[in-house]
Amino acid sequence: MKPDPAEKQLGFFFDQSRCSGCYTCILACRQWHDTAINWRRVDTLEQGAFPQVTVAFLSLSCLHCETPACISACPADALWKRREDGVVLIDAHNCLGKDACGQCLDACPYQAIRFKDEPDAKAEKCDFCQQRMAMDEKPLCVVSCPTRALDAGWLSEIKNIFGGNQNARGFIYDAEVKPAIIFKCKPDKVPLF
Amino acid sequence: MKDMNADWIASGGCHDCGGKCPYKVWTKDGKAVRIEPYAEYRPCVRGYAYLKRVYSAERLKTPLKRSGKRGAGRFEPISWDVALDIVADRLLHTRSKYGAASIFCIGSSGAPGRLHNAASVFRLLNMFGGYTGRWGSASAEGAYFAAQATYGTKPTAHTRDDFVSSKLVLLWGWNPAETVQGSDTTYQLVLARENGTRFISIDPRYTNTAALLADEWVPIKPGTDTALVLAMSYVIARQGLHDKAFIDTHTVGFEAFKDYLLGKEDQIAKTPAWAESITGVSAAVIENLAVQYATCKPAALIPGFGPGRTAYGEQFHRATAVLAAITGNIGMHGGSPACCEITAVGVTPGANIQSNTLIPIGTNPLDTDALKGESRALNPRRRSKFRVNTSHLWDAILHGKKKGFPADFKFLYVVCGNPLNQYPNVNKGVTALKQIDFMVVHEQFMTATAKFADIILPVNTHWERNDLMRPWLGGTYFFSTRKVIDSLNDCKSDLQICNELSHRLGLKNYSENSEEEWIERIVRSCADTADAISDYAAFKKGEIHHFKGAEKRVAFEKEIAHPDLGHFATPSGKIEIFSRRLADLNDPEIPPIPKFIDGWEGKQDPLAERYPLQLITIHFKTRAHSCFDNVPWLRELEPHRLWINALDADKRGIKNGDTLRVFNQRGAVQISAYVTHRILPGVVSMGEGAWYSPDDQGLDLNACANVLTRDRPSPGGALATNSCLVEVEKT
Repeated sequence: MKPDPAEKQLGFFFDQSRCSGCYTCILACRQWHDTAINWRRVDTLEQGAFPQVTVAFLSLSCLHCETPACISACPADALWKRREDGVVLIDAHNCLGKDACGQCLDACPYQAIRFKDEPDAKAEKCDFCQQRMAMDEKPLCVVSCPTRALDAGWLSEIKNIFGGNQNARGFIYDAEVKPAIIFKCKPDKVPLF
Repeated sequence: MKDMNADWIASGGCHDCGGKCPYKVWTKDGKAVRIEPYAEYRPCVRGYAYLKRVYSAERLKTPLKRSGKRGAGRFEPISWDVALDIVADRLLHTRSKYGAASIFCIGSSGAPGRLHNAASVFRLLNMFGGYTGRWGSASAEGAYFAAQATYGTKPTAHTRDDFVSSKLVLLWGWNPAETVQGSDTTYQLVLARENGTRFISIDPRYTNTAALLADEWVPIKPGTDTALVLAMSYVIARQGLHDKAFIDTHTVGFEAFKDYLLGKEDQIAKTPAWAESITGVSAAVIENLAVQYATCKPAALIPGFGPGRTAYGEQFHRATAVLAAITGNIGMHGGSPACCEITAVGVTPGANIQSNTLIPIGTNPLDTDALKGESRALNPRRRSKFRVNTSHLWDAILHGKKKGFPADFKFLYVVCGNPLNQYPNVNKGVTALKQIDFMVVHEQFMTATAKFADIILPVNTHWERNDLMRPWLGGTYFFSTRKVIDSLNDCKSDLQICNELSHRLGLKNYSENSEEEWIERIVRSCADTADAISDYAAFKKGEIHHFKGAEKRVAFEKEIAHPDLGHFATPSGKIEIFSRRLADLNDPEIPPIPKFIDGWEGKQDPLAERYPLQLITIHFKTRAHSCFDNVPWLRELEPHRLWINALDADKRGIKNGDTLRVFNQRGAVQISAYVTHRILPGVVSMGEGAWYSPDDQGLDLNACANVLTRDRPSPGGALATNSCLVEVEKT
């Protein structure tokens, strides 16, 4: 994904109708970045009472918001947004840590900032696989998904391909931070009998 | 990745998973560091967790000799020479004192490759003079039995890319989103749905596959599926929706089956109302299901193996096959023979699945039964003359000849498996293992079974050796997995171990080939792989090869399109709704037409007064049976929990996350509660494969499902672990 001079924002696409809740994106990410804590999560969203039950899954990481609340909340300049592609990154050595600070954790509406369970844990999160992107490879969560429910790229291109839907089950678009993600929704069940 | 200053190596396959997904392993300075998808294949969490399994601090490092009481788990490290000398001495001693039949080998399918697996030990023991083995696939014996009776061959499935031609798919106890069942199975189902295929899930649980695909969920009581199939058949026959031309041309025995449906045989018509009282599915839904299935042609009924792991499990797979036959949904794109959901690619029809794809195991000189092949496979009593059914392992060790088992067992050889954990009735297994004279286990970790061994021989993983990988459920490819790293610690392969034992046992020519020579010999001696290899050098480097003619392959296409040319491998040459071979058994529990027989430990069992909940033990998406349960990354993804319906939970004052005691007359486990609407009231479920970890009182703190399951096989020889009653209480 070579830098596009007209575009300053990378983003994700998530097809909720294709997610089977298998968690592969979580572990593919984890082993690639060799992290002590998962950078991604998958929510299981159960609705209705037996037997009229439905379940949807929601797979998320940091959404590299256009106006990230974490950056405004950080008192230590540990978080920053890269000008050329909009990716939100962390300078761990500046981070004051969860116990001393933890401002970003409270500010992010999507719980995307992660701290491992240690006293001096520093903030960490999805870096949009910047090392892979530099090699023109998509993030590992995208290429690992067994049902191809995820995609990533320039947000404008994603919108061109997949439309502009910003909501999904279990997700509310926050217009203040403008998360860089587009969704395809899970269709309602169509009874056969 | 070009920046990694490293190269990738082709590997894949996760022990006894249904996927056998290829993946790339990146290495740096001789150490595996990352995993990436290979070609279009997409491994799941099991694949990505493998780094943590290989480099786990819990890996066994040296041979071990028991130093405490049997089962206490106390061992001292010893050298390979000493360990192998002990095992060889005990083998020789046992053979001379008690005869080779008293050597009991429990070999399972825990190793993923075609070269390195339990066949190493089978070959060794056959050369040594024979042994007593086990029979009865823990996964799918009900499906195997039914497929051989009905079609004369085990694998009966289409390739997964053919789902796109189905108008309707019945996911009948089939949950590939979690059990995988072929690397791209779930993806192919998604593509089919997006192409307009409709899905109905018939399952006690609203599975992840149902959540992903299904427009209808038909929850059903475990062990009653056959009754539902019969009532659907009844509706179809009564309404004249059956395919008369197909039945006349391709099947035998429809009239006998119809008589049974109409109640002419037992005065019970198999009506929807009859089935409603058994299955809990309303008569109206049954009628709808029948009409949908019979009229939405082509329709693919996919029977999972789970409903076949019940008291009369083979009847389920027999019945679904017959339902597919009477609606003519066989031999066409988008249909399904609905019997044994293993893709009929890469195997010669009629042949034993993949039996020709291993190292030659030779013949067991003790197994002198003149009856061979399918005739024996359909004769469970005959099979038990020379071998022990998987459900009877513990009784066989405890009682031997006294109860009709082939021998009194003195030496237990366990390879590529964790039988104490993975076969039913763990507590009886503990009693049995304490009684055996000598026990050797090949293992990578200190499993529940290994704890009972006299000698444990540490085995390397498939990342530490070269092998041949081929899927067994739904893949149309094979590939050579390359050694990624050197063997860790002091581990050896099963083949190396057996080779070294063979010298000590005075056997010649156990393994005249190197690892690479063996792989080439297997690939070239097996018709399907030999045909598909154009460039062996590329194959040897890990290039993925595809079997010929594997695209949108329809099972039994030739037999249906040209009945004059192609015959089914049954005695009649046709699809056998009525099986003469089964009739000749003269066993009312193995009837010649598929029948509903009310099984033990279902809702009708008087035992249900004490243990009112039916337990089903499912394949869990973060484990391949018991492999991976000790990988913390996977445990963090989803805890091991008991699914319980909110109604059942309320009655017992149980809240989500509560710690529960689940128990019956066989044992008790501790597990946390997942209170949900995704399971039929009266049914609870937990994943199999959690590692048995009893406290002083015998309460299993880690909730190994088989502490609760019953060690009684179905009449056809299937594991009947889903016929199991329990009670649940808050602790």
